[in-house]
Amino acid sequence: MKEEHFIIIGMGPSGTKAAITLRKQAPEARITILSKDAERAFTPHMLPDFIAGKILEKDLYPYDPSTWDDLDIHIRRCQRVTDVSPGNGHLLLDHREVLRFTGLILAVGGRPQIPEPYLPFQDLMSTLKTVKDAKQWIEKLEGVDSVLVIGGDLTSLAVAKALLHLGKKVFFLINEDAFWPLRYDMDLMRKVSERLSQGGVEVIPSGKLGGLFRNANGKTQVRIDDRTLQVGMVGTFFGLAPDIRFLARSGFSMDRGILVDEYLNTGFEGIYATGDCAQVYHPGLRDYWVSIGYENALNLGRIAALNLAGRRVQAKVSGESIFKVRGVNVNTSWWVEF
Amino acid sequence: MSRTDITVEICGMSGDGTIAAGGLLNDALAEAGFSILAFDSYPAEIRGFGRCITRSRITGTQPLALSDKTDVLISLDDKQSISRIPILRENGAVLFDNHPPAFLPEGESIAAHVGTEMQLFGVPFGDLASGASGSLRGRNLAALGAFASLFGVQAESFHQAIEKKFGPKGEAVLDANLKCFDAGFEYGLKDLDDGSDGLPKLERQAEGSEASLLSGNVAIARAALDAGISLYFGYPITPATPIMEYLAKELPKTGGKVVQMEDEISSIGAVLGSFYAGKRAMTATSGPGLALMTELITHGVMAEIPAVILDAQRGGPATGLPTKTEQSDLHAAVYGGPGDSPRIVLAPSNVLECYQFTLKSFQLAEKYQIPVILLTSFYLDNRVETLRLPSRTETDTGDWNVYPDDDSKGNYRRFEITESGISPRALPGSEGFIFTTTGLEHSERGIPEYGGDNHMRMSEKRHRKIASALPDLPPPREFLKNEKPDLGVISWGPTFGTALEAVEKAQEEGLSVAALKITSLFPYHAEAIGQFMQRCGDILIPELNFQGQLANLIGHLHRKEVIRLNQVTGSPMEVGTIFDKIRSIVD
Amino acid sequence: MTRKADPIQSTRAEDFDYMKVNVPCQDACPVLTNVPAYIRAVYENDFTLSYNINLESNLFPGVLGRICSRPCESKCRHGEKELGKPVNICYLKRAAADFRDRQVPRETLIHHRISKNVAIVGAGPSGLAAAHDLALSGLSVSVLEAMEKPGGMLYYGIPAFRLPRAVLTEEIERVLDLGIDFRPGIRLGKDITLAGLLKDFDAVLLATGCYHPRRLNIPGEAFDGVFSGLQFMMDLNSGRPPRVGKKVLVLGAGFTAFDCARSALRLGAEDVSICLRRTEEDLAVTREEVLEAKREGVRIESLMVAKTILGNGNLKRVEFIRTRPGLPGTAGKREITTIKGSEFVLDADTVIAATGQGPEPIPILDERTPEGIVTVEKGSFRSPVAGLFAAGDYVTGPSTVIQAIAAGRKAAAAIVTEMTGRDCRERVVRIEDTVTTDRPRTWDFLPTLEIPTLEPMQDRFDINPKEVELGYAEEQAQTESKRCYLCYLHYEIDIKRCIYCRYCIDVAPRDCIKLVKRMTTNENGAVTGFEETSVWRDVNGIIIDNSRCIRCGACMKICPVDCISVSKVQLLERPIGRAEEA
Repeated sequence: MKEEHFIIIGMGPSGTKAAITLRKQAPEARITILSKDAERAFTPHMLPDFIAGKILEKDLYPYDPSTWDDLDIHIRRCQRVTDVSPGNGHLLLDHREVLRFTGLILAVGGRPQIPEPYLPFQDLMSTLKTVKDAKQWIEKLEGVDSVLVIGGDLTSLAVAKALLHLGKKVFFLINEDAFWPLRYDMDLMRKVSERLSQGGVEVIPSGKLGGLFRNANGKTQVRIDDRTLQVGMVGTFFGLAPDIRFLARSGFSMDRGILVDEYLNTGFEGIYATGDCAQVYHPGLRDYWVSIGYENALNLGRIAALNLAGRRVQAKVSGESIFKVRGVNVNTSWWVEF
Repeated sequence: MSRTDITVEICGMSGDGTIAAGGLLNDALAEAGFSILAFDSYPAEIRGFGRCITRSRITGTQPLALSDKTDVLISLDDKQSISRIPILRENGAVLFDNHPPAFLPEGESIAAHVGTEMQLFGVPFGDLASGASGSLRGRNLAALGAFASLFGVQAESFHQAIEKKFGPKGEAVLDANLKCFDAGFEYGLKDLDDGSDGLPKLERQAEGSEASLLSGNVAIARAALDAGISLYFGYPITPATPIMEYLAKELPKTGGKVVQMEDEISSIGAVLGSFYAGKRAMTATSGPGLALMTELITHGVMAEIPAVILDAQRGGPATGLPTKTEQSDLHAAVYGGPGDSPRIVLAPSNVLECYQFTLKSFQLAEKYQIPVILLTSFYLDNRVETLRLPSRTETDTGDWNVYPDDDSKGNYRRFEITESGISPRALPGSEGFIFTTTGLEHSERGIPEYGGDNHMRMSEKRHRKIASALPDLPPPREFLKNEKPDLGVISWGPTFGTALEAVEKAQEEGLSVAALKITSLFPYHAEAIGQFMQRCGDILIPELNFQGQLANLIGHLHRKEVIRLNQVTGSPMEVGTIFDKIRSIVD
Repeated sequence: MTRKADPIQSTRAEDFDYMKVNVPCQDACPVLTNVPAYIRAVYENDFTLSYNINLESNLFPGVLGRICSRPCESKCRHGEKELGKPVNICYLKRAAADFRDRQVPRETLIHHRISKNVAIVGAGPSGLAAAHDLALSGLSVSVLEAMEKPGGMLYYGIPAFRLPRAVLTEEIERVLDLGIDFRPGIRLGKDITLAGLLKDFDAVLLATGCYHPRRLNIPGEAFDGVFSGLQFMMDLNSGRPPRVGKKVLVLGAGFTAFDCARSALRLGAEDVSICLRRTEEDLAVTREEVLEAKREGVRIESLMVAKTILGNGNLKRVEFIRTRPGLPGTAGKREITTIKGSEFVLDADTVIAATGQGPEPIPILDERTPEGIVTVEKGSFRSPVAGLFAAGDYVTGPSTVIQAIAAGRKAAAAIVTEMTGRDCRERVVRIEDTVTTDRPRTWDFLPTLEIPTLEPMQDRFDINPKEVELGYAEEQAQTESKRCYLCYLHYEIDIKRCIYCRYCIDVAPRDCIKLVKRMTTNENGAVTGFEETSVWRDVNGIIIDNSRCIRCGACMKICPVDCISVSKVQLLERPIGRAEEA
């Protein structure tokens, strides 16, 4: 039975949008979405608002559970892909089931990364990626007056905003590693600093994190250069590192993300990558970029699906706000957020 | 009491240790103070070719029936378990081995079939067992360990159950099993926290529960022991064999004996002989065996000799479906045999009643000098419930025979026609009381007598005797919410529990329904039943036989045709089936 | 394979083919180190035996235990996808070297003295290995080395924090102590000529490696502040540490690039980045190396190629252009193309170009050595010139230390054969009865042990370079050694006695026991494949597939008719004439 089977790995905004688009384009095909998590599809960029108490949990979920049955899309959760074999057209799940596919879209997103020098402190650092994480933040914040945010990416700014809304004292340590894919420079740092300070945040421009430990009364003590801070909790936002370790032996070209062309194709026929895990060289930008932000994720998901279905659509760099850094354009909805 | 009500199913291939795991699960949760109703199904083959399923309903209060839907499915063999997914609740949980020994093509893992809203937990049972004990045999225990930690059951409850079961097999075996369980438990605590928060937690209900877990068969066997039987005669037949096996171990301890006879005919003969001599005895069989016993049962009726016979009903007719459940021997039990041969027929509806009615059978048999047939079924015999056995009393072992007064010495008429119909019975060898007993029609003195008047009088006496037993028999029980229900549901055996749950569900939805439990099939309480039927609009009789045998027996008491709900699928009836039928009638 | 009471020493082709498949670690090792045997020795706490087993094959266990490229680990059966991570074979070799008896008995001659002499040019791993074997074969050996110290890349190319000098020196001394005439400070072409050598010696072996740095060939390469990677390391290791600035860019993706980057940090650089043409995925260095580099603060940038070095005499900035990687080519490396219009500039005050080396040309002998590089017949090590041999990186281009050692030994064997007309080394498969494994199945689930590294980070940047990897403790080594399946065990079902109860298949941990219709064999008679069947009628045999077998012994334990046998099968590669160890 030569039935078309399209598999999408990842149930984030990009993956789900890709699946829905694909169903419209290929009404007869079998479509499966694989997700390593147990959680339902949710809207990640709304997590800070959920933490701030501005929205309810149910508002995080854009899709009714019946959506997938109605569209005849098979959702498989708690099932992790451990290997993809592009040449053979099959992939391996962690419980050793082999799935064949005629088309594949990689939408695995990223996981909050902690750079190697900070790894010894990771138990005291809170990151934000899933609904479960957000609930843990809410729980922790109840007993806390002040928060140190280390970062500089989209999420860190949104979280800072949320914390201000909750009336917490916010310290912000700008970390240059957090800005990838943007290249960090003084100009950028100044702009970010200004914005944050205007909002009521105490900005610590740049410094070496010397130590992090929990002291007797439950507070976290932080040493930055020669200053010591005492805060209730520490949130770290060093950006999302594409979660693509499992593809190490697959044969895909990978750098920080999966390298794809303007059509989001990985170099293998029928296999595309989209969302936070895709790294595409864009001639308009004259550089590699990774999409950041919700709108981009949706857009790229749609484009990957269209390309898989046989249409030829380029991933365009457009958005409400383009941010210029040293003559290089980056698509981000940063400033609008904050 | 908590509102816990979850059904856990373990499904595997025979040889996987599925049944053992189910037993441990029941024991552990009973120890933690839960009420359990559990039923296993397994194939006849010992190894390799059949599907084993254990289903346990775990609640805070005694469940009446199995749930229609399962909440947690533990898969020890994906190929078999996939067929159980339709029974799993939409948001149910599946535990499976996520590291099988070989790669599986798409669709062969249960993970491919899990519904969108279901929760999937992968635990490497095989590896955990190998890692902990060096062999794959303990993978069922590793699975239980993971289940326990996921659902908040204390490891201690399981440790006790494991010690009870494996302790006798030696230190090494016990140790290996405990290690496998603990490996699974650790894994559940450390590696499985994604999504486990939403699961119901089975927290300990009571400290050291006094309830025991008993199956119907064991309850019957215990009752026979408590009734003080001296002898058991039987012939192996599914599903009654466990009774003989249990008594073979326990009865000798009280000085009694178990004898395996050459067939069912000699079994009933020996039981009659034993009671004739004044000692309690019993036999247990199934449909085909009951048929063989028929002539001698009527001998007991004619010669007014007590007997206790258990018929564990199974799929019929003939050899039928030996490992499937049914309720189709009612006709045979009540009417079977030549001539007008009324006998007492009782039908317990749960494990406690299995115990109570067995005890009662001996009393009734002795007092009314009549064979008593107890009708159970495969489902009831094999299902396990938590219950507290009533403590034994004097009446249990007491003698219910009606002996003659001394003034009939020298002039004793064994079959004297009395007001109650019961003729006082002297035991053979009682000085001054000489009599004959025969299966031929006889005079009051017991001498064969074929005269027409005699036969009329004797038949009348025997029938009057049986009718007089009615007050001693367990009466029907009503479950009403209002005085004039639109529909009355009448049932018997374990099907009643299911029917009651359906009726309660309907009552919660505001439907005007009531239930009536029948436990005395013959004689039956025509008046009480009739009164109940009067109050109801329609009558529905669900039962597990094709002809509607209870309907045939009592249907005439209703002013119009009763509605029958007959099912012979080999499985117990589901609450949903009865509920849907109720809806269709009343809505 | 038949079994007899005494061990069999087989030289049948099918048995050699069997060993390739069944002991993949040994087969992957260029010198065929008997890996399972030395791991077992560690388990038995006999570190000296373990060390000696290594000595026989790879000559420098202390060194290799630290810097070997470990081709064995990527083939280790325990590293197969569903079985977990490979055994840390290399760390165990180091443990053997760390914990052995300090006294190593001096090796004795294998054969009588032969009155022939050989000159080896180059005292790197290849040259030293050849010198060792030639000396033990009875020849007079002279080793000529251009630098002051022996060791080649081992001494001059690898930093002390990866390979302490003391360890290296001890193992080299052991070789030189075999009566080898070591002459440092003699450069071929300058102090001595090839023609001269060929006149004075019966054979000459060129093992000069690759010391000719590949140029970037971009403008600005000659500016101050731009180093070649090799020169950087050589200066550092010669006691003349180069001056580095604050912001260092290292171009290159091999061990040299990483060594330079990490050394630069120790020399005071603040910001060190390794700039790759391809991506991190394509790095040839070990995962541990990358992790330690990152932990020390090295950054890794990818998909960029240096286009121009900017400044005026002094390095100020570097212009790069983006690259796009394609699919892997024939050699396994990805094709890269530069992307027009994607130029960008990074500031830097030091650039280290560690983009590889080639062999150095030597003054032309005659028309048989074009471009000054001697070529050899593939596999024979013989050049067109009588008596002139070449081996190691000089012939193959930059490779690994273990490959160089293998080449050196093979070249020495070729020379001895040339001189004496005899083979001097042999390979044998030794088959003997043994008892079933004593490894409990639980050991297969032991997690792999990471090697302890020097903490805190500041300690690594001490004035005196400290070794970063600290090595296992004895108990750790013993624990890690438990993970080896001991693939020298061979389990076999006697089909004639099997009753096909299939209990063995029930207890098998994976698909290692198969019901087969047919087996395929190659021209040597070795089994190459099975045609499995689940149709009972078609089953002709039940086979343990040794390429899937993890030697757990469960089948043998459960067999009710005891028809499964176990034997120990080892591939031994050794000099002919060396007495067999008991």
